[in-house]
Amino acid sequence: MKPASFDYVVPRTVAEAVQALAGPGRTAQVLAGGQSLILEMHLQRIRPRLVVDINRIPELDGMRVDGDGLRVGALVRHAAFERADAVPGPLGTLLSRAVVNIAHPPIRSRGTMAGSFGWAHPASEWCAIGVALDATVEVTGPDGERALPARDYFLGPHRTARRPQELITAVRLPLLGGHTGVGFVEHRRTHFCFAQVAVAAALTVHDGVISDVRIGLVNSADRPVRARAAEQTLLGTEIGPLPTGRRLPDGHPFARAGRVAAQEDAAPVAEPYADAEYKRQAVAVLVGRTLREAATDLGSRLAVRQGDPR
Amino acid sequence: MEQWTRREDERLLTGKGRYVADIHVPGCLDAAFVRSKVAHGSLRGVDCTAARRVPGVVGAWSAADLPDLPPVPHTLLARLSTEEAVAGREWPALVKDRVRYPGEALAVVLGEDRYRAEDGVAEVTAEIDPLPAVVTPAAAVEDSVRLFDGLSNTALRGEAGEPVDPAVWREAAAVVEATYRQQLLMPSPMECRTILAVPEGDRLTVWSGHQMPHRLRRELAALLGWSTDRIRVVVPDTGGAFGSKSAAFPEFVVVAYLAVTLGRPVRWIEDRLESMLVATRGRGQDQTVRLAADADGRLLAYELTIDADVGAYPHLGVGLPMQTAWMAPGVYTTPHVHATLRSVLTNTMVTYPYRGAGRPEAATAIERTMDLLARRLGIDPVELRRRNFVPPDAFPYDTPTGRRYDSGNYAAALDLALETVGYDEWRAEQARRRGDPDALPLGIGVSCYVERSGGEPGGLHEFGSLEVHEDGTVTARCGAAPSGQGHETVFPALVARTLGVPEERVRLVEGDTDEQPEGLGSFASRSAQVAGAMLQHAAQLLIEEARHRAARLWGLPADRAAWADGTVHATSGGPAPLGLADLVKATGPLRVEDRYEAGMAFPFGAHVAVTEVDPDLGTVNVLRLVAVDDCGVVLDPTVVHGQAFGSAVQGIGQALYEGMTFGEDGVPHLASGFLDYLLPTYTEIPPIEIKDTCTPSPTTPLGAKGAGESGCIGTPAAIVNAVADALGTADPGLLQMPLTPDSVWRAAHAPRPEEGVR
Repeated sequence: MKPASFDYVVPRTVAEAVQALAGPGRTAQVLAGGQSLILEMHLQRIRPRLVVDINRIPELDGMRVDGDGLRVGALVRHAAFERADAVPGPLGTLLSRAVVNIAHPPIRSRGTMAGSFGWAHPASEWCAIGVALDATVEVTGPDGERALPARDYFLGPHRTARRPQELITAVRLPLLGGHTGVGFVEHRRTHFCFAQVAVAAALTVHDGVISDVRIGLVNSADRPVRARAAEQTLLGTEIGPLPTGRRLPDGHPFARAGRVAAQEDAAPVAEPYADAEYKRQAVAVLVGRTLREAATDLGSRLAVRQGDPR
Repeated sequence: MEQWTRREDERLLTGKGRYVADIHVPGCLDAAFVRSKVAHGSLRGVDCTAARRVPGVVGAWSAADLPDLPPVPHTLLARLSTEEAVAGREWPALVKDRVRYPGEALAVVLGEDRYRAEDGVAEVTAEIDPLPAVVTPAAAVEDSVRLFDGLSNTALRGEAGEPVDPAVWREAAAVVEATYRQQLLMPSPMECRTILAVPEGDRLTVWSGHQMPHRLRRELAALLGWSTDRIRVVVPDTGGAFGSKSAAFPEFVVVAYLAVTLGRPVRWIEDRLESMLVATRGRGQDQTVRLAADADGRLLAYELTIDADVGAYPHLGVGLPMQTAWMAPGVYTTPHVHATLRSVLTNTMVTYPYRGAGRPEAATAIERTMDLLARRLGIDPVELRRRNFVPPDAFPYDTPTGRRYDSGNYAAALDLALETVGYDEWRAEQARRRGDPDALPLGIGVSCYVERSGGEPGGLHEFGSLEVHEDGTVTARCGAAPSGQGHETVFPALVARTLGVPEERVRLVEGDTDEQPEGLGSFASRSAQVAGAMLQHAAQLLIEEARHRAARLWGLPADRAAWADGTVHATSGGPAPLGLADLVKATGPLRVEDRYEAGMAFPFGAHVAVTEVDPDLGTVNVLRLVAVDDCGVVLDPTVVHGQAFGSAVQGIGQALYEGMTFGEDGVPHLASGFLDYLLPTYTEIPPIEIKDTCTPSPTTPLGAKGAGESGCIGTPAAIVNAVADALGTADPGLLQMPLTPDSVWRAAHAPRPEEGVR
């Protein structure tokens, strides 16, 4: 297990990095956290001629709230999102619930959110959140900067709209408002492995009626999926009291949304121990459970705001 | 030393262990192998020319370049292989004309380091015409694709017990049938395989993480055409083996041959991806069972039919499934038991002992079937077992399959397990949940097992010695070879206890064939049982020798010299007591050695699992696992506890996680390493409670039985039974290990057919 031979450069600025990526006739890979890249290079499933290590570019580090969005620099590690209050409001809660599903703490201390968008693995938690929330991927290339909407960004497994000469400098996520509750539920065989299916949800309710809902599906197609058909079934629906039992009744709007997500939004790719039929089942179940978690989260937020100690 | 549980722990846990890869020999070359990417094919040619030009590459060879390269030897021990099975089926150390499993070595490259060697590997080209691959016994047994032209893929047939009279089945009140799959498993020790061969004068020193150094010496000597005294095998610290490190593998043959041919040190340090592709597998059986009982649940007859996947060559484990046949009856007095098997060659790496080695397959088959029968008869599975246990006064007990169980008290182990888990409370909770449509289904699974430890006839002995030094310290030597079992702690303590001297006065030397010229090694859970009994016996010999020497020194009859607390006393006054140091100073070197033969022992136990199943996703949550094991006299409770815990975790692995799938081309999906083959890790381990009962083995004065494999044998059926119990699954064929979420979800939603045949 060793990588094929490659050149290695350590630019100090974005401009230098872009220059390196644009070098003629060389397949290049960007090294941020390296938690996927280095393994794939060891396995020689990818054999870049050049590795551009961006870890010493100070301008890529840090995240900040910028207007109604969160801008996450390309060197921000997964671990930065482990605390729910690292990011304001429900978005912080959603990111913190998702991040604990990303591998193990040592991997989270190195891997980056922007790196996940660059790698574009269908089982990436961040990418599904990105498409659900309409994130933007900021890239810089020889021709300047571009902002790529997440919905147009993912083209397939490990395939994105980023051009090879472009460097992801940041991922921008919209902050979520006060009437929004969030949920994230992942299903996988062991804590070590990738999700068989996971679901992210953000549920916005005004006056008891669902006014906005975002559902992101992890590993439910060859790319991250926003479950728009499922979302449509919920818009304008009265949320009502949550059922008390463990299982959602089949007729509950969340259960119905789950079935729609499984049949209309998901396009599962069979894997060992998870064929398409099973993945659709998991999508249906997890969408229902995640929406319920989001509704519960919303309930507790409103209770806190109203001074209700529950 | 107080802060460390075992003597070896300070070294092993602080990074001071010395493994083969840590041994620096100047001028040593690293071997890397060119591996077949196809599972089955005709080799047209291998071209190593370009590899030889790579800087740092010292040489590159295919089989065609090494006409004198010896083939891989076959296992004679424990009937694991036979002359008949290997006849006409040579296993070349490098592929000659036919690739028979994916990853089989096509060529070897030696480099100044592993990196250079791998650069060379990348330049070797091979032309292979792919052939259809058969990777299951069902596919291979038809012989429509043959691994060896003109020879059947069925390399061995075997049976244990007598065929059951058809009238028994006809007249029985209940007969249940089922099919089970024992999936292929990977032993997955932390350290993969290693060998370092160093020519020195007319000798060869071989360092290897190995369970049987004397066997490795013998096999290497035979294939080099040398006398065994020209080879020294040394086993340094070894990072686990689980049965998978006791043979002379193809890569070992190549390394030893090239080291001798070139007159240079050569090593091979297997990496994880190689190991996952070409290290030996365990289990791999398709089983069909039939069990009959009368209306009271008394077992009448049991039939077990096995199609075993033994991999591409019959050299290492073709006879291993016999272990399952011999152990088929389990802990019950079933009067008629008949087990038959076919060992079938497939295009996979060879199946070989893996922790449990034939006994998990037997225990899981009978224990799952007992639950099936209990459901059929409407008897509690615990009660059904009780009615059929071999009773404590029936030992030694001869099974219909030819085993003689040495001792046991199966009901005692089960009682303790049920009391520990709180069986009645869990049954009450289960009943409560069945009345609550909103509760997750809960199941309780019991598995009572008996296994065999020590080895098979012809391999039940061990060699060793005790030597007293002038300072009174004692060096114990034996033929065992540890790969993590704690021998350095347990054996000196045993010798010290027998002699009555402080533990720190005794030191253990093992795993070096120059230090200990004869030995068998560590396998079949035999070290404590056999090597321990041998060392206890040697300590008795030492005491006798010391008494006689002192008596002669004192001019007294021998019976006037008595041994107590590490010294010889005259029984009635007279001379001052003599310690070991004084005795050596006065009478010269003091050393005893012997060969000691133990009997087979039959450890047993009862495991109980409580599981909760999410029927919507198929997730299995093990709420509780209780393992009660009886390995006779326990030498070191901490070490035995560690064995029980570790093997239970591996048992959980087989039940829930471990398994490999294959592509259409017969190549297993293992390209991403342990992402493709899931082991239970810390986060998957449920609460495990371990207890023991003690029924000494009568076969040695020590009374110890093997403790190393209990969880691998007892745990899987407990978990599968618990899941089946939770789901009320009538069709056992729906629940096959590993119980992955998708398979459990399907089982949970399958229509409920009528059970079995009658």
